[in-house]
Amino acid sequence: MSNLDLSKISLRPFKLSDVDDFLLWAGDDQVTQNLRWKTCGSREEALAFIRDVCIPHPWRRSICLDDRSIGFVSVYPWSGDDRCKADIGYAVAADYWGQGIATKAVKMAVPQVFNDLSHLVRLQAFTSPENKASQRVVEKAGFLKEGLLRKYIYFEENIKDSVVFSFLSTDEFPHDD
Amino acid sequence: MERDREESVDLAQISLRPLQLSDVDDLMVWTTDEKVPKFCTWEPYSSKDQGIDFIQNKACEFLWSRAICLHDRAIGFILMTSCSATDQSREKSVELGYVLGSKYWSKGIMTYVVKQVKKVAFREFPHLERLEALVDAENVGSQRVLEKAGFHREGVLRKYLFFKGKSRDMVIFSVLSTDLNHQD
Repeated sequence: MSNLDLSKISLRPFKLSDVDDFLLWAGDDQVTQNLRWKTCGSREEALAFIRDVCIPHPWRRSICLDDRSIGFVSVYPWSGDDRCKADIGYAVAADYWGQGIATKAVKMAVPQVFNDLSHLVRLQAFTSPENKASQRVVEKAGFLKEGLLRKYIYFEENIKDSVVFSFLSTDEFPHDD
Repeated sequence: MERDREESVDLAQISLRPLQLSDVDDLMVWTTDEKVPKFCTWEPYSSKDQGIDFIQNKACEFLWSRAICLHDRAIGFILMTSCSATDQSREKSVELGYVLGSKYWSKGIMTYVVKQVKKVAFREFPHLERLEALVDAENVGSQRVLEKAGFHREGVLRKYLFFKGKSRDMVIFSVLSTDLNHQD
């Protein structure tokens, strides 16, 4: 495993020109299996997904390595009386797993998100109990594990438990270590 | 906590039935009492029109609801809402809510009612997997109701809600269809 220089990791909005890089990871079942994304099956699908979903999204950023897209961080705010909270999701291309990239990306995203979403008080993450790597990402980024929600999510005809984590506007923002 | 009388209530006199317009005066007793909506998003009612509006227009919007009655007089209300309104992935979950006139607190009434409604929920909604409830972290009385009624306390969701000018930590409880097979 090479020692990646994490200073080469940046966050920025998606562009249509990201399509080929995007397809490399959004077209990979390994990456999308824990998301509610449908795996992209073609360049056309990937282009449509970037154009119709990623770009208009309230807060979605490409995780970039030397400005090439290798993943995403998304924050979806609730609306109306519930706009005090938002859900965070993230994924990284399989080739880049195990190098602290998702953790770095989430750490970078947290202060930006609280700055950009004015009513936000609580950022929450829901992970599958089996996905330990994903839980470590948010733990290292300073999220607090709150509990196990039993049979919380129903997706693709499976009912699943969820581990819930949160980061509050009043929590100390993560530092780079 | 003060009590006017130490009378206990014969729980056999507690029943559940749909809320009716003729219940409005009884409804106004708990909706105008400041103690009652302390941990609810709504403010105490100030006019009977609000009571009428609730019975005629709001009560029917819930997935399921009933008036909690003592000798067939309404003393509270219990309801279920679907969790999938904003998120399809929550379609196997239903949320429980309830309110009781303060004169009837601490007599075991709410626990008795929740135990029954727990069973009703899984019978009425055969695809239901999870019945959940969220209670303000400061509302110890309501947390005890759910614990005694057999709900599992899963954790505290920090600053999960914001109403009446402040953020609220909410304790989340659940009971699963599979839990019922092992309970009374």
